[in-house]
Amino acid sequence: MLSLNTNFFKRRTRREYLHDSYKPQKSFLATWLLRFVIFLLLVIFGLLIFLFSNIAFADTHNSKFPNIEINNVSEGSLLIKSEIPGQYQQIPLLNTNVDIKVSGMLARSHIKQHFKNTSDKWIEAVYVFPLPETAAVDHLRMHIGERFIEGVIQEKQVAKRTYEKAKREGKKAALVEQQRPNLFTNSVANIAPGESIIVEIEYQQTLHYEQGHFSLRFPMAITPRYIPGAAINESISLNGTGWARNTDQVIDASQITPPVHTGENKISPVSINIVLNPGFPLSLLTSRYHNIIKQQHNEIFHVSLENGVTPSDRDFELVWTPQVNHIPKAAVFHEQINGENYQMFLIAPPESNGYNTQPLAKEVTYIIDTSGSMHGISLAQAKQSLLLALDSLRLHDKFNIIQFNSITDQLFSTAQIASFKNILIAKQYINNLQADGGTEMAPALNLALKKNSERNFVHQVIFLTDGSVGNETALFDIIHKKLGNSRLFTIGIGSAPNSYFMRKAAQFGRGSFTYISNVNEVNEKMTSLFKKLESPLMTDIKIQFDDDIIAETWPKRIPDLYSGEPVILAIKSDKPLQQISLHGTRALAPWKAQLKLNNSKPSNGVGTFWARKKIAALMDSLHNGAKHQQVRTDILNVALTHHLVSKHTSLVAVDKTPSRPADSEPNKHAMPVNLPHGQHTAKTFGRLAQTATSAELNLIFGLTLLLLGIALTVLLRSSQPTFSINKKTP
Amino acid sequence: MKINSPYIIVFLFIPGCWFIGQGLYIESKAILAQHLLEQAWEKTKTGKNQYKPWPWADTWPIARLTVPRLDIDLIVLAGDRGRTLAFGPGHNLASALPGANGNSLISAHRDTHFEFLQHLQPGEQIFIETAQAGTQTFTVTSTRTVDMDNARFIDDSSSSYVHLVTCFPFGSVIPGGSQRYIVSAALQITTQ
Repeated sequence: MLSLNTNFFKRRTRREYLHDSYKPQKSFLATWLLRFVIFLLLVIFGLLIFLFSNIAFADTHNSKFPNIEINNVSEGSLLIKSEIPGQYQQIPLLNTNVDIKVSGMLARSHIKQHFKNTSDKWIEAVYVFPLPETAAVDHLRMHIGERFIEGVIQEKQVAKRTYEKAKREGKKAALVEQQRPNLFTNSVANIAPGESIIVEIEYQQTLHYEQGHFSLRFPMAITPRYIPGAAINESISLNGTGWARNTDQVIDASQITPPVHTGENKISPVSINIVLNPGFPLSLLTSRYHNIIKQQHNEIFHVSLENGVTPSDRDFELVWTPQVNHIPKAAVFHEQINGENYQMFLIAPPESNGYNTQPLAKEVTYIIDTSGSMHGISLAQAKQSLLLALDSLRLHDKFNIIQFNSITDQLFSTAQIASFKNILIAKQYINNLQADGGTEMAPALNLALKKNSERNFVHQVIFLTDGSVGNETALFDIIHKKLGNSRLFTIGIGSAPNSYFMRKAAQFGRGSFTYISNVNEVNEKMTSLFKKLESPLMTDIKIQFDDDIIAETWPKRIPDLYSGEPVILAIKSDKPLQQISLHGTRALAPWKAQLKLNNSKPSNGVGTFWARKKIAALMDSLHNGAKHQQVRTDILNVALTHHLVSKHTSLVAVDKTPSRPADSEPNKHAMPVNLPHGQHTAKTFGRLAQTATSAELNLIFGLTLLLLGIALTVLLRSSQPTFSINKKTP
Repeated sequence: MKINSPYIIVFLFIPGCWFIGQGLYIESKAILAQHLLEQAWEKTKTGKNQYKPWPWADTWPIARLTVPRLDIDLIVLAGDRGRTLAFGPGHNLASALPGANGNSLISAHRDTHFEFLQHLQPGEQIFIETAQAGTQTFTVTSTRTVDMDNARFIDDSSSSYVHLVTCFPFGSVIPGGSQRYIVSAALQITTQ
């Protein structure tokens, strides 16, 4: 605005100067003086306008948005936070220590949750926490002072009753339940005033191995889930402690929505210690989102957080890469339990050289989540990724963009060719995207996967989201039923994406999943995704055993492999395996691999790995029409045998003697969790709208300007004669 | 000193008119849109479809709010984004529909549609007409001012509440601000 003023002034003066060139010297000076004064006045005024409009602007945009937690009050009364000061002070404190041991393809983690009751009442604490989606939770230990009580595995309802009974009787008890494969609850009953109780949970997870990199992800935050559907009226409470009500679409909403701590300081610090025995020399060992300290003793690495602890507001990810000539092509581990032979296989087919010889034209649909939880850095990451993706399109490819929050919107009514003009339109559309509102994912998926008639195109759907929804199963069903010839690739965005959603959606979509939790990663991760999209698939992969072997392999149907992905199999057999062979097809060429198992390494946890894979496969079979009752029985069998927490089994630990006096009831406390890094409460939970316009301000301002203009004109008119006389003097 | 009048025109008169125009535009949009909305609402009420008040609209009418005493008759729109609120009161999509069990949030600007909120008193009746339930009567239970970070609502899914929200204080010219004025009203159950 300012530069425009001065330019204008310069242009005018030059012309005026020429026009008035006959003027005498004396008045010339006076005119210039006056001009200068007026110029100064105008500049000051211009500056004022600029500042003022900016203040008004900043005010409407930067003002803190509100936080409505419509369902967050359990007392059934109208509550304003300020009326109950220090609402969170009574909430028990929580510290978490995590010890992870990594060897081979498996990691075993011990999580110690320290609950401290700072109130003067007996309490029950309920804590909802995330774990990796492949986690096999198999041990629970409750530490009371020096003693500890080992948990037992029970059918879910039985375990719940065991726990409730202990709670009533005043005994200390702990119950670990699975709400989602990556979301668990820990309830601890009868913590005395001032007392600390440590609940130790042990689980095993499978490492992620892709394109020569190993990674271990430890989730620490839960992005508040969007709960679609209408609230159901229940006479019997399901005992949930969350901010959401159960709905017809998410029947357990109240159990997966822990209260969110909105204060300045983050709560629930976590310490992480990792002992890594990779089994090969490393070229790289790094943590993606946290600063770490690394120490090496022989071949073993010790990793810990630089600051000792970190607030639990974003996922932790450790990445390591073997030196080039040590990149594993295949690995076999085995374990014998009760006469059963369990094996774990990892085979990485050689990278295909180059791209598809005859690349088919693609029709790519990009879906971008613009719901409230994506607000801020998440949307920035998604936009960056999307812009990059557009640049990878070729001229004969077609594309479209769908955005969704509470409503779904698409850029073009049908997919358009990736012409320069269309890309430009798309980029503008992307730059203008804003995140707000709900996460109604189903309409967007339906739209993207609707029947396409274009036969000569390869259909790909690229889905950028944080997956913060509570109705995962319904969405998997849509993907499974409508996929047809399309392929769905998920890109998990943000500090704490819903890993379960990312992995399963990609699995049902026969694509792959990627995480982008930092803008700096966009390039690297997207490039690797493009490579996958372009390289030929390995398909029809089959495993063959020797004739006399009876084996149970999970997954039953081996999924297609994208470039850089390994085959990972869990096999139970009646005899130790001597050799297996794998067949597949890539770019019309057959691929075959034969594995001799003489040098198979014994490894603890292979049985657990097999059982966890089987449970996952059984859960998936529900989407293929398997009967609920049968699946439940099968899961119960394998989970109880292998001591695993699942949808139908829980771990429960109960103290032998009562400790709480009979006359005091324990207060139930839902443990609050942090909002993931970079998220805004208001955007995530909805907001009260901005309810004032600048109409009045504009009117007042406009009028002031006009009045000033009139005043100045009058003033100048009255001073004009002096100058006229001056002009006439010569 | 004729040379100065162009400056005055450029720097004072033109921006002055522009600001006044902007102000009037906001006010007139708020008034005019309600007429177009009324037509869309009449259609919505009869059919099951959503009728957009104008072809490029990203919202549609969902209810009609009337307060006979104050001569108020407003069409409520879906969504409460700034774009929507320019035309009429907006219903927060994440909240319950007016008349459905739970909390329903309707927001509008304090200087246009919801200026009348300051005149509503507890005990007073407001009427909300929806396509699903016809006209229902709500009784104002409370009026209060909150900081928007601390706004909380009754958790009671067995009855129906409507909360009318606008900026506070009324009459303030600077937009933004974190205070909200909330008029809460409960559905009056007609015993038959």
